[in-house]
Amino acid sequence: MPLCNRHLSPLQRRSIQLFGANLTLTAVLTMGAHEFYKQAHPAVVFVYLLAGMLTIPVIGVIVVAGRYLKRETDEFIRMMVVQSLLWGLGVTFAMDTFLGGLFAFPEIYRLIPILNLDLFCVTCGFALRIQLWRNR
Amino acid sequence: MKNRLRVLRAERGWSQADLAARLEVSRQSVNAIETGKFDPSLPLAFRLARLFEATIESIFVEDGAPTEQGPAKPEV
Repeated sequence: MPLCNRHLSPLQRRSIQLFGANLTLTAVLTMGAHEFYKQAHPAVVFVYLLAGMLTIPVIGVIVVAGRYLKRETDEFIRMMVVQSLLWGLGVTFAMDTFLGGLFAFPEIYRLIPILNLDLFCVTCGFALRIQLWRNR
Repeated sequence: MKNRLRVLRAERGWSQADLAARLEVSRQSVNAIETGKFDPSLPLAFRLARLFEATIESIFVEDGAPTEQGPAKPEV
C-alpha cells in the first residue's frame, strides 16, 4: 500500500511531517489560548491577537496541501488526496454545523474547544486510508 | 473507457509493478486504469502509447465507440 511508511516518497513523507507539526501546533495553541483566556483575562487587543495566532496552523495546512498537490506527479494518488481533502472539509463543516446548532442551547452545549483543524486532518487521513484500501 | 492495457502488459510479461515503475507512477494507478476506475490524463496516455509503441486509440476505446467490427450497437 502506498503512503505507508515503507513506500512514502520524500514529498509524501515531508508533507505528512508538516501536517503532523501543524496538527500539534493547533492543539497546543487552542488549549493554551483557552487556558490563557480563563486565567489571565487579557485585554481585548490580546484576545484578537491570540485569535489571529490560532489561524497560523490552518493556513499552514492549506499551504502544505497545496504544495503537495502541485508537486505530486502521480495523478491517481493526487485524485485520491483531493477526494480525501473534500471528505475532511465535509465532515468538519458538518460537525461545526451540528455544534453550532447546539450552541443556542447552553444547557446542552458545554464549551468544547473545537479543534477544527485536527478533525479535518484526522478525517482526511481516514478517508485516504479507506481509498488506498479500496484501490489496493 | 475500456482499454487493452492488461493484454499489452501480459504480452510483455510485465507485472503491474513493472509497468508502474516504467511509467513512474504507483502500482495503484496502473490497477485503477486497467480496471477502468480511472481515466489517465493525456500526458500519461501518451507515455503509455510510447511505451507500448502503439497509438492512444489502439489502447483506449471510448464506451460505445465503433470498433473494427463495425459501429457499436445502440443500447436497448
